[in-house]
Amino acid sequence: MTKSRFNPWTWLWVTVATLYFFVPLWGTFDFSLRMKRGAITFLAYQKVFADPKFLQSFRYSATMGVITVIVSIMLFVPTTYWIHLKLPRLRPVVELLTLLPFIIPVIVLVFGLIRTFSRPPFRMTQTEFTTDILITAGYVILSMPFMFRAVDVGMRAIDVRTLTEAAQSLGAGWLRVLLSVILPNLRVAILSGSLITFATVVGELILADFLVRPALGPYMVVVGGGKAYEPAALGILSFGLTWICLGIIQLVSRGDVRLQPIGR
Amino acid sequence: MAFLEISGITKHFGQGAGAAVDDFSLSVERGEFISFLGPSGCGKTTTLRVVAGFEQANAGSVHINGAEVSSVPANRRNVGMVFQAYALFPNMTVAENVGFGLRVAGQPAALMQARVAEMLELIRLPDYGRRYPHQLSGGQQQRVALARALAVQPQLLLLDEPLSALDAKIRIELRSEIRRIQQELKLTTIYVTHDQEEALSLSDRIVVMNLGRIEQVGTPFEIYNYPRTAFTASFVGHLNLLPVQVTDAATGACTFEGTALASSQPAPNKQAGSARLAIRPEELVLGGAGANRLSGRVLSVNFLGNVVRVRVRVGAVELSVDMFNERKLVLPAVDAQVVLSFPAHACWLMD
Repeated sequence: MTKSRFNPWTWLWVTVATLYFFVPLWGTFDFSLRMKRGAITFLAYQKVFADPKFLQSFRYSATMGVITVIVSIMLFVPTTYWIHLKLPRLRPVVELLTLLPFIIPVIVLVFGLIRTFSRPPFRMTQTEFTTDILITAGYVILSMPFMFRAVDVGMRAIDVRTLTEAAQSLGAGWLRVLLSVILPNLRVAILSGSLITFATVVGELILADFLVRPALGPYMVVVGGGKAYEPAALGILSFGLTWICLGIIQLVSRGDVRLQPIGR
Repeated sequence: MAFLEISGITKHFGQGAGAAVDDFSLSVERGEFISFLGPSGCGKTTTLRVVAGFEQANAGSVHINGAEVSSVPANRRNVGMVFQAYALFPNMTVAENVGFGLRVAGQPAALMQARVAEMLELIRLPDYGRRYPHQLSGGQQQRVALARALAVQPQLLLLDEPLSALDAKIRIELRSEIRRIQQELKLTTIYVTHDQEEALSLSDRIVVMNLGRIEQVGTPFEIYNYPRTAFTASFVGHLNLLPVQVTDAATGACTFEGTALASSQPAPNKQAGSARLAIRPEELVLGGAGANRLSGRVLSVNFLGNVVRVRVRVGAVELSVDMFNERKLVLPAVDAQVVLSFPAHACWLMD
């Protein structure tokens, strides 16, 4: 133990890694401050916030993010619960299925969606509302690996089966078991899955681009094509947003251990 | 009809798999404490889970208080259950855990609080209501689990190896607590265990199980002293077995390596031939004046505290002899030649 503390290699690698991660970030941040020649200003950030399209697209993406999170929770918590309880042998299969979004490119997914659902009898791309339904479905699939994994790990941390049986023997029905016993003990898992899902949706480009919805991803591409300093500012902003998300996960999961322990 | 009537329960998991429980039938009277005792995989837990409603039997029926419950889901059977892993709800305090069943049943808050307090008093943890499960020791958690199961006043209490995860000392302490509470509430109880000591000390009757079947049902005294099958005899308590030749099946006379031995019961298959003579270590005496005498050489002497166990080689077999410890006890020396004796009524013939 004491030997490793003075190991110079440790410090070398820590330094290299730190430089690798922070130099580009610092470079981007520094660049985003230099819109006005010879001065350090937040002008680029002001311009970003001044553009009504930024707020519009951010609001759209955030709304879709929240809807996707809700749909994902409603879909994956009961499904994962059922698999843990009744079909544990199916778990590897489902795990593989949820990995598909990593293997199949988004472009394939979006073309499949368009080819299938823009034709009769669906014609879902004809109105904004039905297109939003389609894009939400796509987002749910894209974020599936994160949400399933988070919930799955959460369920493995508690003894789902025995807790369910204990609640049942006390008279609780399925819904009661799920809402009073399983969900509260999965809070941290669901929260971390939700935030990653939210971040995925907010940063997503291809689905929104091909379905022609005013999301943040396409907006950033447009801005990036025509301007120099604003994209850097946007990049720093989205980075900050991700860090805030991670910070919330850390905060809540730590608070959870202290206030509402879940036996870890 | 008895209070709990289990008839012809058979359960197999998946096709081609052997029966986990095979034609299990048992009548339990109200207020009785029954233990299912057997090695792991003998079907005791499966039977319990069928009674609780967590497993569906492939055949047979369960009647609780006169009502057939096979098609009643677990949450409507009003059967309390205590698990080996405690299974307290980690997100709830002790009081919330104990009150959970009452909340589900929609009881008014005042009644719930009174009942929770009463239950915590019963398990002797009155001041622990506001703690979370992870702040309790294993023994305390299991007490709370017991209180939680009892709070809804179940008509039947089922315990699935409730003490297996605990330290030896806590186990013995909690064992007598369970018995005390069961006696106090006169609650019909089924207790699953692989620990013969637990089964013997707690139960009104023991059901010994092996390979999905009932081997024997009886009081602890009957099970220990008059085991009816070879499995029961060897699983409950320690047993010495001598390979003998039966010379008179009707009287139970036999010979072991040329030495004539007498047993008080007839041979089980009523035939002369080879059989095994069974005898408990505590009924063998070093020296002594029993009717049956064998001589041998001491292999080892183990001092176990209240008991001293001596291993003696007699001919081709090794026998265990248990002696109660006392201060004036003279322990035999290893390699010493000794004579063992036992009365005819202490041994019995098995196939």
